[in-house]
Amino acid sequence: MDGNVTISNLEKVYDDGSERTTAVEDLTFDIDAGEFVSVVGPSGCGKSTLLYLLAGFLDETSGTIEVDGTPIDGPGTDRGVVFQDYALFPWRTVMENVTYGLEEQDMGKEERRSTAQQYIDMMDLSGFEDNYPKELSGGMKQRVGLARTLAYGPKILLMDEPFGALDQPLREDLQDQLLDIWGDLDKTVVFVTHDVEEAVYLSDSVMVMTRHPGTKKTVTDVDIDRSKSRADIITSDEFTETKNEVWRSLREETQSGVQP
Amino acid sequence: MNLDRDFDVVGALKSVYSLVIILVLWEVVTQMGMIHYYFLPPLSDVLARFFELLANGELLENAYLTLKRAVVGLAIATVLGVVVGVLCARNAAVEWFFDPIIKIGYPVPIIALVPVFMLWFGINDTSKIIMVAVGTFWPIAVNARDSTRQVDKNLVWAAKMMGTSDWRLLRRVVLPAASPGIMTGLQIALPLSLIITFVFEMVAGGGGLGALEIEGVRSFQSTLTYAAIIAIMIVGLVLDRLLRVARARLLRWT
Repeated sequence: MDGNVTISNLEKVYDDGSERTTAVEDLTFDIDAGEFVSVVGPSGCGKSTLLYLLAGFLDETSGTIEVDGTPIDGPGTDRGVVFQDYALFPWRTVMENVTYGLEEQDMGKEERRSTAQQYIDMMDLSGFEDNYPKELSGGMKQRVGLARTLAYGPKILLMDEPFGALDQPLREDLQDQLLDIWGDLDKTVVFVTHDVEEAVYLSDSVMVMTRHPGTKKTVTDVDIDRSKSRADIITSDEFTETKNEVWRSLREETQSGVQP
Repeated sequence: MNLDRDFDVVGALKSVYSLVIILVLWEVVTQMGMIHYYFLPPLSDVLARFFELLANGELLENAYLTLKRAVVGLAIATVLGVVVGVLCARNAAVEWFFDPIIKIGYPVPIIALVPVFMLWFGINDTSKIIMVAVGTFWPIAVNARDSTRQVDKNLVWAAKMMGTSDWRLLRRVVLPAASPGIMTGLQIALPLSLIITFVFEMVAGGGGLGALEIEGVRSFQSTLTYAAIIAIMIVGLVLDRLLRVARARLLRWT
C-alpha cells in the first residue's frame, strides 16, 4: 500500500537576515502507510512547521522527507492539507469547492460532479451543494474542507488543528466522522493538535515534540479497541493510562519553558 | 379598492424626507423673494428649464458627451490599474518600479493638472479622456495591489496542493480572491471620473454637462446652471447604482 512517509534528520531554520531561529531540529520519524499519527507539543514547538514541511509549503534546511521512497518536491496531489481556518474558496459553492481538485486533473464535468457528490454525501453535506461558504457554520465548513481534500484522492492527509476552532460536541462528531472515513479509505494521516485526549482518541501513535527547538521527544503507541463506543473508550483504563503517559511527557515540556 | 396595492407615497417620502424639506424650503424662500433670482431661482423655474432642455435634446446630447469621456477614461484606467496593481503585488521588480510612482501620483490633486493637459493634448475629447484615465488610475491600482497582497496565503497553498500551477494561480485563485477589493477601487474611481470630466468641461468647453453649467453662469441664465446640476446629480446617482447592482450580482458570495 502507498502512503509511507520517511522523515530523516529533518531541520528547519528560519533566517530573516538578522536572526536565525531553529524551528525543527534533527527529526527522524517513519510513518507507515495507513497509519494515523498525531503530533502534540507546546505552542511554538514547530509542529505546524513540521506539517508545512510535509506539505511542501516550506523547504527544509537539511534532511529529507520521502513519500514512498521519493523525496517530496513542493506541494503535490499525493498529499492533502486540511487547514484550521478551512481555507475554502469563498467565491465557489460547496459543490465547486469539492470539484476544484478534480478540475485540475482535467476530469470531465459529469464525472467531476458525481465524484464530488459522493464525498459531499459522505460528509453529510447533501442539500448544501449550492451554498457559499459564508452561509455555513464552522463545523460544516470543515466538513467541506475534508470533502474537498478527499475528493481528489491524496494518499496522505495532513491536518493542522482542523477541529481547533470548533466547540466540544461538534469536535467530537467530526472526530468520529474522521475515524469512520479513515477506516474506510486507507489514508495515512498526520494530525497536529494541542489536545491530548483528541490525539489519543484518534491515533495509532502519538508523537510528543520538545519545546524549542522542536524534535521528537516520545512516541506513544495507542492500543485501544476501536469497535467500542466513544463513551466506553474514553472511560477505559487503557485509554486513561495512555492519555496520562502522553500528558506527562507533554507536561515536562510546557513546564521546562516556565520562567522562574 | 385595495389600498395595499397602491404605491406607498408616505413610505417613499419617508426615506427622503430631509431632501423634501430642503426642496420645499427652496421653493418657498425664493418665491417670497428672499434670495435674488440670479443667485437662486425658484425650484419650479429650474425644473421647467430642466424639462425644456430634456425635450429639445440639449440635455441628452451634453450628458452623452460627459458620459462618453468619463466612462471611456474609467475603462482605460480600470484595465491599466488592475494590471499594474496586481503585478505590483505579485512581482518585486514591477513593485520596485511602480511603488515610488504610485506614492507620488496618488496624492496629487489631479484637477490641478488640467492646464497641463490642455497644453499637452489640447481641449478635445482625447485630452479629457486621457485626464480621466490618469486621474482614476491611482485608486484602482492601489486597491488592486492591496487586495492582491491580502489574498489569504492558505487559499494559494490549498490550490497548489490540489495541483494548480503557478501561472494558473492568478486566474484560478488570486483574481477571484482580490475581486471585492478591485470592485471597491472602481467604486472610488467612478465619482472621481465624473468630477474630472465636469471640471475639464467647465474650464475647456467642448460641450458636456460641465460646459452647460458654466454657460449658464456666463450668460446670466442661472436656471440653466441649476438644470445642468440636476442632470449631473442624476448621472452620478445612476452610475453609482449601476455599479452597486453589478457588485451585488458579481460578488454574491461576499
